[in-house]
Amino acid sequence: MKKFITILFVCIGLVTYGQTTINPDTVCSNATGEQYFVTNTPTSTYNWTVTGGGGALQTGQGTDLITVDWGGVSGLYLNAIGVIESNAAGCPGLPVLLDIFVLDLSSNVIGPFCPGDPSATLVGNPAGGVWAGTGVTGNNFDPSTAGVGNYVLTYSMAGCNTTINVVVNNGPVTGPIQHF
Amino acid sequence: MRKILTILSLFFTITTYSQCVSNETVVVSPGGPYSPGQVVDVWYTLGNFTGININWIHAFQINLGVGWTNLTPTGTPANPGGSVGNWVWDLQHTFVAGLNFGPGWRFNNTGNVDWGTSSTGPFIMSFQLTVAQTCTPDDLSISMEVFDDCTTGGWANGNCCVDPPFQIYNGVVLPDLINTSSIYHY
Repeated sequence: MKKFITILFVCIGLVTYGQTTINPDTVCSNATGEQYFVTNTPTSTYNWTVTGGGGALQTGQGTDLITVDWGGVSGLYLNAIGVIESNAAGCPGLPVLLDIFVLDLSSNVIGPFCPGDPSATLVGNPAGGVWAGTGVTGNNFDPSTAGVGNYVLTYSMAGCNTTINVVVNNGPVTGPIQHF
Repeated sequence: MRKILTILSLFFTITTYSQCVSNETVVVSPGGPYSPGQVVDVWYTLGNFTGININWIHAFQINLGVGWTNLTPTGTPANPGGSVGNWVWDLQHTFVAGLNFGPGWRFNNTGNVDWGTSSTGPFIMSFQLTVAQTCTPDDLSISMEVFDDCTTGGWANGNCCVDPPFQIYNGVVLPDLINTSSIYHY
């Protein structure tokens, strides 16, 4: 029973504070409205800084929760988010910092295809993500499996994704051989 | 021989530190350490004052570290069997000899204006203090210094009493700890 209650408390804690953020924190390029927070002390004020990564603080300066829009340039930005808490007497605490990795996914362009074309390799950048969509097996797209049509293939990694459009055209319809 | 010298030295030290005042006691509530905004009450008692050269007790000066604010008297000493007059609270007063006094209580002798009181005590007084808002560990020392009317300049009949300030409290402000959590990302 005690074990069950302990697990319950841990779960409630996770729900309350959201996921524990690993440093560096990964965000998708051009993400908007990303929320960052610290545990709130009602009598405190919070001075946030957002530097690098094309980040711009949108809302919440002075409070325990802010929203940030990020830029599109992939890379690691050290100490991109910082916060200094001041208590009711105006005494500042030590800065708390978080590194940010802006993840910008891209992929190669493939197609258009005809039915019966051989499989094409899908290349996502950076490597290590997962491809999904009709006709996709692993890192390959098979026009024969997909069949004729327009398809959106998705490349995903760390909660970010990018898409490509792939077309499999109809093959020529050849009539019977005629003898003049 | 060394033992005798040590005992003599100790005796000399004790007599030096208790020339005219004796039986000083204090109650401080609550006990330290203290944080900004905390209110502290002090009750100080001087059990006995026996002057030299017919010096009389004249003033109690409260010496405070910079970390204190809102000094307020809450209990004025009595004048048991003393001269005609009363103890008055003063933030600052310049005695006839030029001694810059305050804050504290000084005896207002209505018969001989520059004299203290012939009372030997006991003298019981109390005051209240507040720890100032600060971000740094400021000095919170409290001491009580007793002056005779020789030191203040109202009476001249030889040496004055030389008693060191009575240490009531020694410490510094304990600023509130600011313990910011990690930054979380929803």
